[in-house]
Amino acid sequence: MSVLEVRDLSIHFGGIKALQGVDVRAGEWEIVGIIGPNGAGKTTLFNCITGFYTPTKGQVVYRGRDVSTLPVHKRTALGMGRTFQNVGLVKNTTVAENLATAQHLQVQYATASGILGSAGSFAEERRVAERGELILHLLELTDVARERVADLPYGVLKRVEIAAVLATDPELLLLDEPGSGMGPEEAHALGDTLLRLRKEFGLTIVMIDHHVPLVTRVSDYVYCLNFGEVLAQGSPDVVRRHPEVVRAYLGEDPTDAPVEEVAAR
Amino acid sequence: MSTTGHVPRHAAPGQPGQPQQPSDTQVLPVVDDTTTLPPVSPATDAPPPVTEEPAFRPGHVGRAVRAAIWLVLAWAVLAMPTNLLSPFEIGVADIDIASRAVIFAIGGLSLHVLLGYCGQISLGHQAFVGIGAFTSAYLVTDLGLSFWVAIGVASLLGAVQAVLLGMVSLRVTGLYFALVTLAYGAFAESTLFGITPLTGGEGGKPAPRPVGFESAEHYYYLCLGFLVLVLWLDWRLTRSKAGRAMAALRENPRVASAYGIDVRAFTLVAFAVSGVFAGIAGALTAHHDEIIVKSSFDFRLALTFVLMTVVGGLRNRVGVVIGSAFFAILEEGAFVALVEGAIGGLGFTPTFFDSALGLPAEFVGLVVGPLLLLLTLTLYPGGIGQQIAPVRQWLTGGRFDRHAGQVREVEVTDVRA
Repeated sequence: MSVLEVRDLSIHFGGIKALQGVDVRAGEWEIVGIIGPNGAGKTTLFNCITGFYTPTKGQVVYRGRDVSTLPVHKRTALGMGRTFQNVGLVKNTTVAENLATAQHLQVQYATASGILGSAGSFAEERRVAERGELILHLLELTDVARERVADLPYGVLKRVEIAAVLATDPELLLLDEPGSGMGPEEAHALGDTLLRLRKEFGLTIVMIDHHVPLVTRVSDYVYCLNFGEVLAQGSPDVVRRHPEVVRAYLGEDPTDAPVEEVAAR
Repeated sequence: MSTTGHVPRHAAPGQPGQPQQPSDTQVLPVVDDTTTLPPVSPATDAPPPVTEEPAFRPGHVGRAVRAAIWLVLAWAVLAMPTNLLSPFEIGVADIDIASRAVIFAIGGLSLHVLLGYCGQISLGHQAFVGIGAFTSAYLVTDLGLSFWVAIGVASLLGAVQAVLLGMVSLRVTGLYFALVTLAYGAFAESTLFGITPLTGGEGGKPAPRPVGFESAEHYYYLCLGFLVLVLWLDWRLTRSKAGRAMAALRENPRVASAYGIDVRAFTLVAFAVSGVFAGIAGALTAHHDEIIVKSSFDFRLALTFVLMTVVGGLRNRVGVVIGSAFFAILEEGAFVALVEGAIGGLGFTPTFFDSALGLPAEFVGLVVGPLLLLLTLTLYPGGIGQQIAPVRQWLTGGRFDRHAGQVREVEVTDVRA
């Protein structure tokens, strides 16, 4: 059974057809990459999967269960964790505090007993803090635990975001441009991190990224979106060589612009 | 979950109806730079280890001075208002002002839960407090219940009405919600508080003080006890999952829901907590005045609440308490009397505000308040909490750093989802 199945998904904003009949599937422990030019509908697809948008047509099925009508936080509770294109963190607080906030659903006391300050809630708070430290340690972020999120550089925040989404205890990770703002070396390290996380946490990962080398290196399967439709899909090499994909990225007539020259830019 | 033995699926290339052959001439020209460069080892990535600066510890003298100031503060709060161990002789009326300051602090913390933690402005807080006051007075006077039952019921009813109003806030936000609360306050004033059997109409409702707390001094300690309770709840709120959820949903509801936080539910939790605090403040107000009239709960009170919370400093518990107490003293005319006494000592007319400006003392708060609000918003976004932060840090055994507690507002960046 596949972890995530998007069936015939369409969403229209007024007259704009942002997504049209998109089918996406992610199997257990797979890393699925989604590429496509700007405005292709990649993030809109994520918003439909996680529940920020209600699709006009189609279904989102998570582990055999139709979650199309569930609100965002219920999907998070089922194990769907996501990151945002711009950093999705609470910026006025520290990294450690964000990790604690992200463990919201794992906290083992009732809201009221937390406010009343029961003895159990103190112990549970310590456990939450320790678990947060553990996750930060895993992603080599212990140094920045006490830093305020707004003071940290973008590249670090992208990693903090992954730490935070891991704290929600997900089984399916939806990463929206995890490699943006990173240099090639950092992106390479990110690729290693993703492969490691899949192994250690048993995660299924769906990622959007513009960094094609990163996507082709770690993905088992790649979808290319263009104008709200799936343009091509298959193994990373197949999609990379797909003439339609090349055209979508480079324009109508690739012979006019020599390939090497474009790459050099 | 184990990943051993797992082989990722490599699906068949291409799709029916689409070109299946990889073309050699048309390859997405990607320089695979992730493999040409060696991965950076985390060891070199990490910043050089910072030599741990030994934590600052005050010397013997420093510790003695700090302890002395703590003692003076404790005396000023616990003993001075009730003429214990005190060279001053404070009259009953002034002890009542001290009690009023403590009650205002509870009211300020109530609004602070909404305004500070949730970012929801309430301009109808006089209704929150008023409903608590009339509930408690009615239960004690008409039903003959004890004060302790009455204050419990008042806080519960405060929570219920706040949650009902909160449900509206889930539909409208920002300025429109502020308007709804404004209308709610006006509605409560003119209808709920006008039900004569419940509120006593124009004549007011008697609300006797509980047994054992009839004297002004004892009632002051009662109020102080409730303030401690409210401070405890407020502290635990911010240190537990509810407070973290509120911080997240205030700043970014989308991120909050992605963290699994039920934004609607936790907005209502904030309203409930605020309502409980307001109910306590209301009941204490009722039994403090001993006879309550509906005119004490007019829009002016709601305005004062907003002023004292913002001037006190949002998301700064101590600042809100100090700000609220300051406005209570200002409201009662005690501050004006103090200033005018000082001016009178210098040979000026002691009733400057009243005679020269024609401004009754109890309105001074509404003139000074907006000026302070302006100063707060432009110069000290952290309010009184920001101004006392250096002293507070010093008192808790740190260095005196006059830049402590600077509020650095994050520019509002919308997270494009």
